[in-house]
Amino acid sequence: MNIDAWIEFAEGPLFGITFLVLVLGLGRQILLQLYFLGVKKGRRLKRVPWKDITRETLGWAVPIRHIEPGTGLFSTSSYVMHVGLLVIPVFLVDHVVLWESFLGIGLPAIGKGTADILTLLTIGCGLLLLGLRIFRARHRLVSRPSDYVLLLLVLLPFLSGYLASHPAVNPCPWNVMMLTHVLSGELLFVVTPFTKLAHVVLFFFDRISAVHWQLRPGAGDRVAEALYGEEVKI
Amino acid sequence: MNTRVRMLKDVLWALALAGFVAGVFRLWFGLGATTNLSDAVPWGLWKILNMVAGVAISTSGFSMGFLVYVLGLERYRPLMKPAILVAFLGYGCSCLALLFDIGLPWRFWHPFLMWNEHSFLFEVFWCVTLYFTVTAIELAPTVFEKLKAEKATRLLHRITFWVVIVGISLSSLHHSSLGSLFLVTPQRLHPLWYSALLPLLFILSAMGGGLMFLVLVRILHAHWYDRKAVFGPTQLERELILVRSRSLADSVNAREVGRDMPMLTGVARVATGILSLYLALEIYHLGHAEAWSALLAGTWESWLFGTELLITAVIPILLVWLPAFRSSPTALTVAALSASAGLLLNRVDVGIFGYFRSAGEVYFPSLAEWALSLGVVAAAALVFLAFVEHAAVFSPPPGTNAVRRGVDVSFDSLSRVWHTALSSGPERTTLIAVLVVPLAWACMYPPYSSTHPAEVREASRMDVTGERLRLDGDRGGVLTEFPHAACQKRLGSDSSCVSCHHMSLPGDTTTPCARCHRHMTEETLIFDHAYHIQAVADSLGLEGARGSNQTCVSCHAAESARTTATAKACVECHGEWTKVYAEGSKDLARATSYLEAMHGTCLACHEDEAEKRNRPELRECSTCHTSLTPLGAPGPVLARRQ
Repeated sequence: MNIDAWIEFAEGPLFGITFLVLVLGLGRQILLQLYFLGVKKGRRLKRVPWKDITRETLGWAVPIRHIEPGTGLFSTSSYVMHVGLLVIPVFLVDHVVLWESFLGIGLPAIGKGTADILTLLTIGCGLLLLGLRIFRARHRLVSRPSDYVLLLLVLLPFLSGYLASHPAVNPCPWNVMMLTHVLSGELLFVVTPFTKLAHVVLFFFDRISAVHWQLRPGAGDRVAEALYGEEVKI
Repeated sequence: MNTRVRMLKDVLWALALAGFVAGVFRLWFGLGATTNLSDAVPWGLWKILNMVAGVAISTSGFSMGFLVYVLGLERYRPLMKPAILVAFLGYGCSCLALLFDIGLPWRFWHPFLMWNEHSFLFEVFWCVTLYFTVTAIELAPTVFEKLKAEKATRLLHRITFWVVIVGISLSSLHHSSLGSLFLVTPQRLHPLWYSALLPLLFILSAMGGGLMFLVLVRILHAHWYDRKAVFGPTQLERELILVRSRSLADSVNAREVGRDMPMLTGVARVATGILSLYLALEIYHLGHAEAWSALLAGTWESWLFGTELLITAVIPILLVWLPAFRSSPTALTVAALSASAGLLLNRVDVGIFGYFRSAGEVYFPSLAEWALSLGVVAAAALVFLAFVEHAAVFSPPPGTNAVRRGVDVSFDSLSRVWHTALSSGPERTTLIAVLVVPLAWACMYPPYSSTHPAEVREASRMDVTGERLRLDGDRGGVLTEFPHAACQKRLGSDSSCVSCHHMSLPGDTTTPCARCHRHMTEETLIFDHAYHIQAVADSLGLEGARGSNQTCVSCHAAESARTTATAKACVECHGEWTKVYAEGSKDLARATSYLEAMHGTCLACHEDEAEKRNRPELRECSTCHTSLTPLGAPGPVLARRQ
């Protein structure tokens, strides 16, 4: 198979399958959250303060008041990166064409210039975050190996996509870069439902379980154990 | 839940989900795209393995009913509930698989209203439907007990006897008529299996094999949930008892096999009794039909028949009746497994393998057929396990409660994050779904795995004179003789070339149709992108990998999405090479389907001429497709092929 046949395969069947994994996997996460919510809260579901939860969840969309001293750079770059992560894959004009042919949904597109700036900002902020996680002790201490790997993985389709559409700065043949772009995007599809990237949907459940997604399951118990000893009930 | 049961359930879930995907594809794309069935072998896995064999293996419902209710053998009563459950699920899966097998599934209810009383299948349909209802009624008390609906339970218990009697009559009716079904194909079914005794052979093997399958089910349940009930204490426990034994009773206890063994041996003896009758009848059939020569012919059929007889009847009978094996749980397991497998093999032989020789082709089920077939069975097994775990189907071991199973949701007490260990049901099952469904999709999605090449074959027999072209693009047998020279002359000799050869590949004058219109029914992308990148770079004098990357904007507008639709039209560069037949068609990168191209080119002219010259036959299919019968001629118009 030559490289064009590979691109065709990656854009056809492979895209379909990986997209199915993404949709099913994220759907699974949502269903499980709702299921466990039902199991745990049972008939008291009505007493969940939905209004407060919604308000607080939306409040995180502009998280200015959550910024703590010393984390401003990290928070800002993370925020900017998230805007790029959400906007570019969906609203880039070349992607809008693909969505329309694949799902039959027409979406508004952003201009190429805007997209370029946003893509560069996203990549820049991602690299900045990587740097902070490596060089600043405060961020290094809360970083797991997966945080570094996933960050790079998320940036890969952005970088390859930018290079593929800007031949002047692209060091390798166009089709190689295009294949890299498609495959890295699909890798992200497969990885998202099973890693912390699932917070793309789980974010909306964070306020219900009143804690953030970064903590490992059982982490709270371990903290409590370390602080108060094994027998203490919280 | 122990690890072994969990792994079993994982596998069952995976199979059931793959079956679900196969079922969706069957309804979406039809039988032709998803199965390997053909006119020569129209009865495949779903009909034979799931329906004919599935119904046969779940006969224990009525044979146990006969033993317990009619003959009053109360010692077998503990096996009554599992027998009914097996019957209910067996018939349920048969009906489900059959629903996917019939051409128009939404018409499954037709035999209720539209009666064809001459058909064996009509009787089978009614008996299977009614018997399925009967098993549902028989099973209902178990469900109601669980739901604590006492009134309904009492009412059902009162009518049980009569329901069982109805069940027995219905079962014995349709098992024999399933055998009768194959009587209509004496020329096609191999003589080893074809026999006037088929109805009798079918019901006897079903009764014997079905009871053996019930024994197998009990043993498997013991294997996974309650080992001691059949296999007795383990080696270690035995030694412990012997070490500690202070009385004779204890040491006897240590040697004892499981408490259910006597009951199972009893059932197995009844079953093998029936199977010996079956064996005798088969031998009689061989002698009577003079099929001995076929058995000794050494063909693969004779080997298959011999194996089938061996594992269906001979091995089980020996294992159950020889004194050396009589009290061994392992021997009983092997006997039950062998008889059940033999029964399945028998039905597959009669329904599938026996037809290969006369059909002249070998049928191997497609992946989707396997998936649906096994998926339905796996789903039934999951329902079985759910029943076993939630309702008292098997008598629980003394002194223990039934397996308690609940969703174990634990919260981290500080973070309130749910523990996401994959131990509990829904998390594990949904994870399997997320992994299996896309995989099954990739393997079975018909467009990904089309076995029929859609590539068009080029026209042949264009001899030196260019007289006649022979067209059969999809090798479908509908032949077209195209009078190339005559048409050319009629349209104006040399100047007429471009009216058909509307576009030629660079350096070519009359490119053949199939070189661009490569697909029979879909359009083809004929534009070679990689080649153009390099060619444009060369012509502009750009060098190296980065050079060829600069060529995007030579064809694509800088500001819009870079697709075929927004690219420069081919004729803008290749104007002098390309004769554009249809004015205004900008997108020459895509060639229409072969079917559309050929019909489009000829038909417009033919229809005009038919009108002008008052020669309506010019419009007819058979004018060009010479293998078809002309309109008005005797015989079917489109059905006759070369």
